[in-house]
Amino acid sequence: MPKIGISRKFGLAIGTMVALAAVAVVAFIVAGSAGASPRRTAATATLNGAGSSLVAPLVATWSPVYDAATGVHVNYSSVGSGAGIAAITARTVDFGASDAPLSPDQFTACKGCVQIPWALSATVPTYNIPGVGDTRLHLSGPVLADIFLGLIKKWNDPAIKKLNPKLSLPDMSITVAHRSDGSGDTFAFTDYLSKVSGTWRTKVGNNTAVDWPVGVGGKGNAGVAAIIKSTPGCIGYISVAYVLQNHLSKARMLNAAGKYTLPGVAQIENAAQTVKKVPANNQMSIVDPPRSKKYAVAWPLSTFTYIIVPTTSAKASVLRKFIFWALTAGQSYGRKLVFAPIPKVVLVAAEKTLGKIHS
Amino acid sequence: MTSVDATPEATRRPFGGRRVRFGDIGLQLIAGGAALAVTILVVLIVWKVVQGAKPAIEKYGLSFITTVAWNPVIGRELYGAGSFLFGTAVTSIFALILATPLAIGIALFLTELAPKAIRAPITALVETLAAIPSVVIGLWGILVLGPILRTTIEPWLHDVLGFIPLFGPPSEAGASVFTAGIVLTIMILPIVSSISRELFLGVPSDLKEGALALGTTRWEMVRGVMIPYSSGGIAAALILGLGRALGEAIAVTQVIGGSVSIQWNLFATGDSLASKIAASYQGATSNLEASSLIYLGVILLVFSLVANILAQWIVRRTARKHGIVRGGHA
Repeated sequence: MPKIGISRKFGLAIGTMVALAAVAVVAFIVAGSAGASPRRTAATATLNGAGSSLVAPLVATWSPVYDAATGVHVNYSSVGSGAGIAAITARTVDFGASDAPLSPDQFTACKGCVQIPWALSATVPTYNIPGVGDTRLHLSGPVLADIFLGLIKKWNDPAIKKLNPKLSLPDMSITVAHRSDGSGDTFAFTDYLSKVSGTWRTKVGNNTAVDWPVGVGGKGNAGVAAIIKSTPGCIGYISVAYVLQNHLSKARMLNAAGKYTLPGVAQIENAAQTVKKVPANNQMSIVDPPRSKKYAVAWPLSTFTYIIVPTTSAKASVLRKFIFWALTAGQSYGRKLVFAPIPKVVLVAAEKTLGKIHS
Repeated sequence: MTSVDATPEATRRPFGGRRVRFGDIGLQLIAGGAALAVTILVVLIVWKVVQGAKPAIEKYGLSFITTVAWNPVIGRELYGAGSFLFGTAVTSIFALILATPLAIGIALFLTELAPKAIRAPITALVETLAAIPSVVIGLWGILVLGPILRTTIEPWLHDVLGFIPLFGPPSEAGASVFTAGIVLTIMILPIVSSISRELFLGVPSDLKEGALALGTTRWEMVRGVMIPYSSGGIAAALILGLGRALGEAIAVTQVIGGSVSIQWNLFATGDSLASKIAASYQGATSNLEASSLIYLGVILLVFSLVANILAQWIVRRTARKHGIVRGGHA
């Protein structure tokens, strides 16, 4: 008899608990869908960021140095530019990072965000041609565009041969590899192709993802690299740091000044010198620098990468200090990872934007 | 929620000829609460998804379903689900056609044919296959499987069966609808074979021995007793497999080559609904693209629902046809 009483009470207790749990779950879901996410109050010792995988090695280098100097810990998740934009839009992080500037819709959705150019890097045409080693292939912008338009189909095409008189190019079909997910590399690459090819500009255009005329899509830098490595005759484009880490073959690109260059800090820095004035939204394109002796060594596929911060943030002063440090002292840590220091005019504009961040 | 009187007197009071037992009420609350929570969750998900897709539904209407396009470049935006719907259907059906005989074969081998000593290890291995994360299978698909298919199996199929449009020129880079179909086959194989194995183990031995005693061969016994006895359950297992194939996103994204086109050649690149959402949602550049991607989600929901209803109808039909032996041994 007492045993039954206990089991009854127990059953009742369990039942009540489960009912409460069910109500709690439902309430949580409803609250979540209504957009009432709980905000953490200022814990000023850490900064959480997410986004671009291109800039991740640089932030990873900064983090311990900055922590030692200031006691502020910077957590960064390399989740990709698109996910970083989504995270800062939802305010689940203190800053986002993207290799492509925000689109108008993304700006609106982010409600009072600013983008600050904080590092300079590049994307690189990467290939796998049997018998053609690293840096041996020479390409020009229009030829690269024709390859990605599907107009040049073979590696021994006269247009490619003309740029590579010393190479014996195989009679092999060209396979084009591109990103299937939205990416800052795609933005810089299609920006460049739109500048050097009228056909590309009118038929395809420039965005983080485009309607590719030909080719095979891979997910992320790793996906494109896997396709290139396993497919003889393949060409794609990949972030420079990733290309160097994975020992992929880099093409030499002909810039507008008529010189073949390879992606390095000096070449990217030279391309960035084309920036004379920074627009209000900080969006800059430095692909295909104009024909001039001043840009003789410029790498034509260079790109800025941006940190995205809300103008109103509970951690405003910590954020401001960290970004200022990254823009100044932090720039020197980039050389090894092929990040060029940002030019002075951009630094001035970035500092001006920093002033807009308040708590 | 009904309130419950917890005094001991109340528990002993007869209620409609029966005692009110709090264990029963507790169970009712537990089970009911769980069922209610799931129902509410599904309704909320559907509501949210439809709401998110609204701008695209309003702009494109039903023509979205048949439009073959996906151009997110600002100024020339155009979206449609045609090629993704086609890709989802082709990869899933392909995987189902390939997985069904393989899974039944594995299950038969493990229950009837294999020496006792190797049954347990092989069963464990097949079930381990189900535990491999899809992203790992996808990586293996693009690094190992794709190149092998491209250089050996695809050219061979093209040479032998090239007159069928399905087996056109081999893929350029190993990423294709064909590779995606094989990867999905591998992913649904453990589910279907494990359930089939359980079903075959459940076939009463008196039925099997009876058939053998009547002089049937082992194959006739399998065909005449085991498969009909388990057919309803096998069909249900295939529905589970189909559900996984329809919804699989990451592994397909990695191996299908992400292109927007409808091609009968299995070796061409393509894309599926789930894979397109996985690849593009986080980087969507405009509200219209984000909304169109959610519209793809709505179509996937409806598509899965229709596929499920259709499959359940088939299960019920086969179960009725072979319903003779069920229940008697339960």
